[in-house]
Amino acid sequence: MGYLNKEKTDELNKIKRDRKIGNLGSPKNPFDYYEREYGTVPRDTKRAPFQWVSEVAYKNVHRIVTRGYDTTELMEEGYGVIEVLFVDYQARIPTVEEGQMLNYVMILALEDGLSAPAAISRIVARSKTFLTQACGASIMAFGHAYGAYSAFGNRLDGYLDRVDKGELSREAAAELLVKENLHDEALGVSSLMLKDPAAKRMVARAEKLGVAGKYIAFTKEIVKAAQDLSTEPVDLDMLGATGATMMDLGFTPEATWAILAVTRSFAAGAHYIEEVEREESNRLGQQLTPKEDYDGPADRPVPPLADREKFAKSAICRTPEEWKARFEEMKKVRGSGFSIVEEIEDPSKKSGIKKVGKL
Amino acid sequence: MDRKPPFRRKTAISYKTEEKTVMRGYDLSELAEAGYSFYDAMFVLFQNRIPTENEEKMLKYEMGVFLEHSMSPSAVGSIGVSAGRPNLPVCVAAAVSTFGGVHGPGAAHGYMLNKYLERGKKEGKTVAEMAKILVDEYMDAKRPVMGMGQPQHIDSDPRAEPIHLKQEELELEGVYLEFQRAIEKYFHAQRKRQGRSYVGVNVVGSGNTALMEIGFSPNAGWCIGSVVRGFSCAAHALFNMKKGRAWGASRNEPMVQMIDLSMIKYIGPEDRVVPKQEEQQEYARKQKEEGEYKQWVI
Repeated sequence: MGYLNKEKTDELNKIKRDRKIGNLGSPKNPFDYYEREYGTVPRDTKRAPFQWVSEVAYKNVHRIVTRGYDTTELMEEGYGVIEVLFVDYQARIPTVEEGQMLNYVMILALEDGLSAPAAISRIVARSKTFLTQACGASIMAFGHAYGAYSAFGNRLDGYLDRVDKGELSREAAAELLVKENLHDEALGVSSLMLKDPAAKRMVARAEKLGVAGKYIAFTKEIVKAAQDLSTEPVDLDMLGATGATMMDLGFTPEATWAILAVTRSFAAGAHYIEEVEREESNRLGQQLTPKEDYDGPADRPVPPLADREKFAKSAICRTPEEWKARFEEMKKVRGSGFSIVEEIEDPSKKSGIKKVGKL
Repeated sequence: MDRKPPFRRKTAISYKTEEKTVMRGYDLSELAEAGYSFYDAMFVLFQNRIPTENEEKMLKYEMGVFLEHSMSPSAVGSIGVSAGRPNLPVCVAAAVSTFGGVHGPGAAHGYMLNKYLERGKKEGKTVAEMAKILVDEYMDAKRPVMGMGQPQHIDSDPRAEPIHLKQEELELEGVYLEFQRAIEKYFHAQRKRQGRSYVGVNVVGSGNTALMEIGFSPNAGWCIGSVVRGFSCAAHALFNMKKGRAWGASRNEPMVQMIDLSMIKYIGPEDRVVPKQEEQQEYARKQKEEGEYKQWVI
């Protein structure tokens, strides 16, 4: 389409300038709103045209290729998902032992009972959706507390960097990490697996297969440091065992996060199916929220619109002191958002390692 | 620490205690220790059984070959979402959610096969006869025959026939493969008779047939197929997040970016003057009377 011609542009702009539109004539505006062009930006012929750029894969009419390997040829040679994950994320074929270890990890990651991913999948299922919607939603349950592989791994990398630079011994780094993050959900050490041997068995399996490396070794130091510092019994948990094992297999924290969230999504699909099979759908307005669960303001009459000024309360704060006072007041209003702080930064490289949560 | 589930449900899939996580009766840790594969675990999850060796091999082939498909709606969805730099799981969720009625409609294919097999049994018709009826009914209704055609792999999806062949090699031929082969045969013949171009079998047609043959329900098969793609879509999103530019609109890149302003082609109503509020009622009435707006309603 491109831009509208000058004659029509001037004509349309003149009409608007004469009619005046709200604040658009204000000199404070960064440019003249009555001189703006109409239509879309013409095609850029000076730069190369847009293409999907990828290091990961390409396809043509007759072939699909990931990291240089034709995927059909990979399967015909006897490889499977386990190996393609190494190819996709690390551009390499794994050793047999690495493949066995990833297989082990993924079986353990497949199911976790009615925790968040399964619960979300079931809630979505009740709205009568496609299965894929529910599976997608289940993946979104993975954050920086539940399934916090990105946070866990990036933290290990941060402290191990300091070890590599000679700033700290591995033991001292583990002690410092625990001291600075003892109560963080992504520590990898907690009271969750005191009676379940699965986490320790995973690490033992990695050692037996000869794939355990610096991350498992460091995590073991972290467990020791946490046990020394904690007032309650703690031990390696599934996050710590799985995260460290995946990183020793060469996966980045983000790749680990994605692979394990997707792995759980298969089971979330089974939960979707069972929910549809065994339960009813939800209709809009069907579900009630009991008053006994409510602890907000008591029931009150809605003021007449004409009395708005009498009842209205302005949020405008003219001084920092007023602002602070209001901020503190609003913390008491549950659901207003004033009591929490979040990390909303570009998560491209590292994510989940900053302190977030309640103020 | 509160360890209660978010809500209570009677479930036949799994339970979790302080001691173990159990799926369909098997302790997950024991399953892994015993040397079973992730593919075996899929059979336990969806079918409550340990598969035969060849069934396991078939699923391994199927999932592996379906995992990566370069630029499909799923990868593009994942990359598009990653442009805003949300957390990675959001990109993957978007990718998996792209699977619907057209992109990888595994369940739809499965339901189609089941429906016609059921009908054939009731009407006393052979599998080959039902394949002909299916193709005729779909073509007469101008509905796409599920499992046939792919807009990029116009000579047939490169994964499709090898999946059929693998199923045959593993001696896993059952009623589904017989039915699917018959559908393809009759479909090709019909199009040839009508003077229409060749449309090959796609990966749903072959892959979902194999999944159904080894015992998965339409939705279980769809889950396996669409979720396994999530693995590669996460890699595509991650590549863009780690090595690409956020937003996808930078004018400093040597290549025009995905949502550069010049990529927009507008074909809607011409630019026009916004009516003042005092003009609204009359303006709106006239607009409704003239009805020109109706061509734009979506």
